[in-house]
Amino acid sequence: MDAVTDTPLADVPLVDVRGVRMHFPVPGQWWAAVRGRPTVVKAIDGVDITLRRGESVGLLGESGCGKTTMGRLLLKLIEPTEGEIRFDGQPLAELDRPSLKAFRQKAQLIFQNPFEALNPRFTVQQSIAEPLENAEVPVADRRALILRAMSRVRLPDPADLLGRYPHQLSGGQLQRVVMARALILGPSFIVADEPVSMLDVSVRAGILNVFREVRDGLGLTAVYISHDLALVRYVCARTIVMYLGAVVEDGPTEDIVREPLHPYSKALVAAVPVPHPDQSREALPIRGGAPDARNPPSGCRFRDRCPHAFDRCAAEVPKPTRMGDRTVFCHLFDG
Amino acid sequence: MSQRHLLSVCDLRVEYKVGKDIVRAVDGASLDVPRGAIVGLVGESGCGKSTLARALTGIMPKSARISGGQLLFDGTDLLRLGHRQMNRHRWRDIAFVPQSAMNSLDPVYTIETQLAEILRQRGGLGRAETRERSAHLFELVGIEPRRLGDYPHQFSGGMRQRVAIAMALALEPKLVIADEPVTALDVIVQRQILDRLRFLQEELDMSVLLVTHDISVVAYVCDEIVVMYAGQVMEAGDARTVLTEPHHPYTMGLYNAFPDLQSSQGLLTPIEGQPPDLRRPPDGCRFAPRCPFVEDACRGGEVPLTPIDGGDHASACRRIGEAAVLRAKALESETWMP
Repeated sequence: MDAVTDTPLADVPLVDVRGVRMHFPVPGQWWAAVRGRPTVVKAIDGVDITLRRGESVGLLGESGCGKTTMGRLLLKLIEPTEGEIRFDGQPLAELDRPSLKAFRQKAQLIFQNPFEALNPRFTVQQSIAEPLENAEVPVADRRALILRAMSRVRLPDPADLLGRYPHQLSGGQLQRVVMARALILGPSFIVADEPVSMLDVSVRAGILNVFREVRDGLGLTAVYISHDLALVRYVCARTIVMYLGAVVEDGPTEDIVREPLHPYSKALVAAVPVPHPDQSREALPIRGGAPDARNPPSGCRFRDRCPHAFDRCAAEVPKPTRMGDRTVFCHLFDG
Repeated sequence: MSQRHLLSVCDLRVEYKVGKDIVRAVDGASLDVPRGAIVGLVGESGCGKSTLARALTGIMPKSARISGGQLLFDGTDLLRLGHRQMNRHRWRDIAFVPQSAMNSLDPVYTIETQLAEILRQRGGLGRAETRERSAHLFELVGIEPRRLGDYPHQFSGGMRQRVAIAMALALEPKLVIADEPVTALDVIVQRQILDRLRFLQEELDMSVLLVTHDISVVAYVCDEIVVMYAGQVMEAGDARTVLTEPHHPYTMGLYNAFPDLQSSQGLLTPIEGQPPDLRRPPDGCRFAPRCPFVEDACRGGEVPLTPIDGGDHASACRRIGEAAVLRAKALESETWMP
C-alpha cells in the first residue's frame, strides 16, 4: 500500500536513531550571546537508539531529561538539529509527501492529558473518526472500524458512547477514547507520553492493562515515556534511562530494577517509594539538585552529582560500554 | 479532649453549591492527628481529602459551606472561632503547605520579603531576629541562605516546594497541613523533600497531616493512615497495620492497583467503575457499587467506622469480621473482574 511498510526486512530495525541532537534557542538568545552565556538548550545531545520490531521500550528520566523531546523527534513532530532518524530503513528527513502521509498513519502518539487531548465540541464518534477522514476511508466503513477500535480498548457499551461529549466521560474513559483514536488506522509504532499520570490509581491499572493487551495483540512497537520506573517496568521489557539529554543506561528493565549499573540509575531506583512499610530509608547516593540544562557539566553530565566521580569524568564524555545485555555510559565501567 | 491527639476532626461536613445542586464533598468524616506524628490522608480525586484540609485552614472558596462537625485543635473548636481568632492560629499554630508552591508565592516579591512578612506581622519579630530566623529556616529546608534575596522564578520546582515548607515552619507551628506537597516533583526531589519533612517533624516535634493520592508516599513517611472515599473515611489506623492488614475492600483494591517495584508482581488490578456522584450519593456504604464483596446489607443505613480489636485501627465495612477471608480473595484478580 505504501513505501514505508513494503520493506519486509525483519532485520532492519523499525526505528534507528543515530547521533541525534536537538538544540532549542533560549529565550532572549541575543542578550545571552552578548553576555557570553549559552544561547541554546541542548535538550537532546547525541543519542543513539535502536528499536526492534515488536519491542516495548521505556524512556525513563526526570523532568528536563529530554524524554518527551525524544518522543516528538521519533514521530517527526520536530526536526533534529543534527543526526538522523530512520523509520523502517527510511530517513524521516527525506520522506516525500505520500510517504510522510503513510508514516503519519503508521506512527501514533498517545497524549499525557486525556482531558485536553480531545476537542470538547466533538462527540466521541467525531474524535475517533477524524483520522479516518484524513485517510479517506469510505464513510460506509467508518462506524464498524470505530466500534472495533473502541471494543479493543475495552470501552463498555461503545455504541452508547458514540454520541457523548468529553465532559460526560470519566478520565479513564477519555484516555481509552484517545487510545482508540490512535489505534484506528492500524499503526505499527506507538509513542505514549505519560499516558496515566493524570489518572487516579484505581483507574490506571485498567489503562495499563489495555495498553499491554493492544500492543501484544497488534504486535506494536511501543515507546513508553515516563518518570515512574514502577510503571515502565509494568509495561516495558527494555528501559532506556536518560539524564540531561543523553542516554546513561539501556537494557532489560528487570536487570535495571534489580541491579542498576549507572550511578544515576542507582539513585533513581533507590528513590522510588514502594507501597510497603518495610523499605529502605537510607540517604540517596546522589548529591545536589538538577543542574542547568543550558550549561551541562563537561565530560560526564552526571559527574557533579555523582558520588563516584573522578578526574576522567570531567575530561571525557563516557563511551557506551556493553555489560551483558546492557549498555552503560560511565567511566566506572569502560576503564 | 484527649492529650494524645493534637487535632480531632469529628463528623465534619462540607458542602459545595454547584448550580442548583449541593455536593457533599466531606460527609461525616472523623480523624485524629496525634502529637508528634505524620498522618497520611489518602484518597483519589474528588474524595474530599483536599476539602477537608482546606476546612482546617479556614480558607475555603465562596461556594463552600461547613455544615456540621467539630475541628478540635488542642482543645478548641476551630469552627466556633471568629475570623480574627482563627487568624491568630494561622501560621502560628497551624500552617499550610499548598500543592503548587508555584502559585502560592508572590512573583513580584523576593522570598526574603515574603518570609519577613510572616515573621514580623504574624510572629512580631524584630528586624535583626527576622533576618537571622529567615537564614535559619532556609538552612533547615536545605537551601543556601544567600538565595533568600531571589525571586520565586529563580527557583526550581523542588526548591520552591522547600521554600513553601520553610514558610510553613516560620513560626514553629504545632500542626502542618501539606496538600500533595510532592506530587508535581521528580522522584529524587520527592524523596529529598519527604526526608526533610520527616527530619523537621522530629526536630521540631510537630504534627503533620499529609494529603496525598500516592500510597507509596504514605508508606514511606507516615505513622498513621486515613483512607477516604466519596467524602467519608473508609479505614484508619497505624500505617503498618493498614498497609499489611487492610480491613476495608477499598483499601485492598487501592493496594492491588498500585505498582510495587520491590515485588515481582503479576497483573495490576483496577477497581472497576467510578466514584459515586456526590450530589446523589448511594445509600449505605459509598463503595458498595464498586465493591466485589458487596452484600444486600451494605446498601442500606450508615456504615460507621468501627474499631478493630479495640485499638486505633478502624474500618467502615459491614463485613469487617470477615476481613482476613476478603483479603485473601482480594489478592486474586478475578475477584475484581466485572
